[in-house]
Amino acid sequence: MTTFPLAAYLGLSAVLFVLGAYGLLISRNGIKILMCIEILLNSANLNLVAFAAYHRDALGYVMAMFSIGLAVAEAAVGLSILIALFRLKRRIDVDWLRSLKG
Amino acid sequence: MSSVPFELAWLIPLLPLGAALLIALFGRWLAERGGWLAVAAGGLSLSLAVPIAWNGLQLREPFTSSFGWFAIGQLQLRLGIYLDQLTALLLIVVSLVSFLVLIYSIAYMHREGPRLRRYYAEMSLFLGSMLGLVLADNYLMLYLFWELVGLCSYLLIGFWYERPAAAAAAIKAFLVTRLGDLFFLVGLLLFLIDFKTLSFAELFSLQVSPQRPWLLGLGTLFFFAGAMGKSAQFPLHLWLPDAMEGPTTVSALIHAATMVNAGVYLVARTMPLLIRAPVDLLVIALLGGFTALFAATLATVNTDMKRVLAYSTISQLGYMFLGLGAGGFAQALTTQEGAGYAAGLLHLLNHAFFKALLFLGAGAVMHAMSDSTDLRRMGALWPKLKLTGTAMLIGALANAGIPPMSGFWSKDEILAAAFSGGHPALLTAWLLGFATVFLTSFYMFRLWFLAFAGRPRWPEGARPHEAPPLMAWPLVILSLFALSSGFLSSAGLRRYISLGEPHLMPARELLAQTFANPWTILSSGLALAGLAIAYLLYHRGLDLARYRTALGGSVYRLLLERYYLDRAAITLARRVTVGFARLLDRFDQAVVDGLINGIGRASVGLGQRLRRTVTGSINDYASWILAGVALFLLIYVIWR
Repeated sequence: MTTFPLAAYLGLSAVLFVLGAYGLLISRNGIKILMCIEILLNSANLNLVAFAAYHRDALGYVMAMFSIGLAVAEAAVGLSILIALFRLKRRIDVDWLRSLKG
Repeated sequence: MSSVPFELAWLIPLLPLGAALLIALFGRWLAERGGWLAVAAGGLSLSLAVPIAWNGLQLREPFTSSFGWFAIGQLQLRLGIYLDQLTALLLIVVSLVSFLVLIYSIAYMHREGPRLRRYYAEMSLFLGSMLGLVLADNYLMLYLFWELVGLCSYLLIGFWYERPAAAAAAIKAFLVTRLGDLFFLVGLLLFLIDFKTLSFAELFSLQVSPQRPWLLGLGTLFFFAGAMGKSAQFPLHLWLPDAMEGPTTVSALIHAATMVNAGVYLVARTMPLLIRAPVDLLVIALLGGFTALFAATLATVNTDMKRVLAYSTISQLGYMFLGLGAGGFAQALTTQEGAGYAAGLLHLLNHAFFKALLFLGAGAVMHAMSDSTDLRRMGALWPKLKLTGTAMLIGALANAGIPPMSGFWSKDEILAAAFSGGHPALLTAWLLGFATVFLTSFYMFRLWFLAFAGRPRWPEGARPHEAPPLMAWPLVILSLFALSSGFLSSAGLRRYISLGEPHLMPARELLAQTFANPWTILSSGLALAGLAIAYLLYHRGLDLARYRTALGGSVYRLLLERYYLDRAAITLARRVTVGFARLLDRFDQAVVDGLINGIGRASVGLGQRLRRTVTGSINDYASWILAGVALFLLIYVIWR
C-alpha cells in the first residue's frame, strides 16, 4: 500500500477547511451551510486521524470517532431546525432571517 | 430541700415563658385575662427557685447543664444553665419580687379590662426572660435574654401607648439602652474572635493569650458599657426617669427590682475576667460613685413621686457598681477577699426589696389619689393611709441607710470596701458615695414628708382610701424583708457570696465591729441629718426663701433642668446625628448612586455601539467566529 507523507494529509485537510469556511461565509441556502460545516468537521477529523497514524496514538482515532458522532447529532439538529423553518416560512434561505438584528 | 434536683432549674424560666404564650393566645377566656395564670406560673417558679437557689448557694463548683444550639464552623454555641451562688442570689430576688408584684397587679391593674391580656403576657415574658438571663451559661444566651428583657421593658413602658409621653418614653428607653447593648455586642464579638468561646465555664478557666492582653480589658469594658445602659448609669441614665410613664407595677418590677439589676449582674458575672483588668474596675467604681451622687442630687428637687424613686434607683445602682469595682480591685491587687463584691451584691438584694416596696407603696398612694404622682398635690395622707405610710416609711428608712434597716448594712460595707481599697480613684469614689448618704436620706424623707405629713394640698374631690388586701399583703411582706434582709444577709448569706476566701465573723462580732467604726457612725449621722433637714423643711414648713442666694437659685435651676443633659441629648441628636445623616445622604446621592448610575449609563453606551455588530445575518456571525479563531491562532503562534 502506498503511504503518503503526513504533509499530504495536512494539505488536503487545509484545502477542505478553506473550502468549508469559504462556503460557510458565502452560502445563503441553509442546507449548503450545514454541508459546509460538515466539510469543516471532516477536515478536522482528517487531521486527527492523520496525526493518530503518524504518532501511533489511538487517542486521535477516539477523538475522530467522537467528532463524527457529534457531527451526526449536529446535522440532525440543524436539519430539523431547517425543516421547522421551512414549515414556518416556506424558505430555507438564511440571509433574510434578520429578526435577531440588534 | 435536697430532694429538688438541679435539672429542674430548666423549668424556672420556662414556666413563665409558657404562661406568656398561653396568655397571649388564650388570655381572652382566662380568669382576670390571664392574671391568675401569670401569678400561678410565677409562684411555681418561685417554689422551684427557692430550694434550687438554697442548694445552689452551698455548691462548691457551679452546676452546669447544656445542650448544643448551633455551630458555626469550629464554634459551638450552646443553650444551658449555669448555677452558682451569684445565680442563686439573683434567682431568689427576681422570682420573689416578681411573684409579689404580680399578685399586687391583680388589684392594681384591675381597671384595665381587655388590655390586661397584653399586660400579663408581657409581664410573664419579662419574668421568664429575666430568669433565663440569670441562669444563662454563656454570654450569647445572656445577650439573647438581655435583649428580650429590654424589649419587654419597651413594651411595658409604652403600655398606655395612646399617651404621647408614654410612647416617647418607651422609644427613649429602647434607644438609650440599645446604645449600651451595642457596646455589649461589640465586646461579645471581641471575645468570640479572640477566645473562640462565650461559655462562662470555659472563659473563666481560660488563660489569656499573652499577645493581646489588652483585649480582655477592652472587651470587659465594652461589657460594662452595656451594663451602664441597662442599669442606667451616667451618661446613659436618661431613660430611667422617663420610664416611669409605664404602670407603677412595671416600674417596681422592671425599673427598680430586676431588669436594672441585669447590668450589675453582668459585671458581677464577668468578675473573674475583670480582676485581670484592674483599670476597668477603677472605672466601674468611679463611675458608680459619680452616678450615685449625681442621681441623688437630681432626686432632691423632683416633684414627681415615681421620678424621685427612679433617680434614687439610679443612685443605688451606682453604689452597687462602686461596691463591685472596689471589691474586684482589692481581689485583683491582693489575694484578700474583695469585700466590696459581696457588699455590692447584697445591696442588690436589699435594694430590690426596699425599692420594690417603695414603688408598690407609691402605687398604693396613686391608687388613693386617683393616679396622681405629683408630690405638690399630696400631703397629710398619713391618717388616711396608715398601712401604706408605714410601709413607705420602712422603705424610706431602708433606702436612706439608717440602721438597723437593710440599706444601711450593705451600703456601709460598700463604703468601707471603697475606703480601704488602697487607690486614690477608689478613695474619690468613696468620697462621692459618702456625700450621697446625706442626700439619699434627705430626698427620701422629703418624699415621705411631702406625701404623708404637713398640710393636705389635695386636688378637688380627692378621697384617699387604703389599698385593697391584694395590694396590702405584698407591701407587708416586702416591709418585713426591708426590715430584716440587711442584717440577715450580712451575717448569714454573706458566707456564700464572696470573691476569694471569705472573711467571716459571727453576728455579734459583726455588730460590734460595724458600730465601732467611726466612719459608720459618721455616715449614720449624715443620714439622720438628712432626715432632720427634710423634717424641718417639709414638715415644719421652714421657709428657705430668706436664705435663698443667687448661687442657690442657679443650682436649683440646674437641678430642675436635670443638668441640661436631656436637652443636650436632643441637641446632639438634632445637630450631630441629623448633620451626619445629611452628609451620608450627600455621599449616597453623589458617590453611591453616581457609581451605580454611571455603570448603567456606561453599559447602555457600550450596548449602543455593540449592537451594530449584531446584524442578524448568520454569515456575518460565521465570519466573526472564523476571524476570532484566526486571531487567537495568530496570537498563539506569535507569543508561543
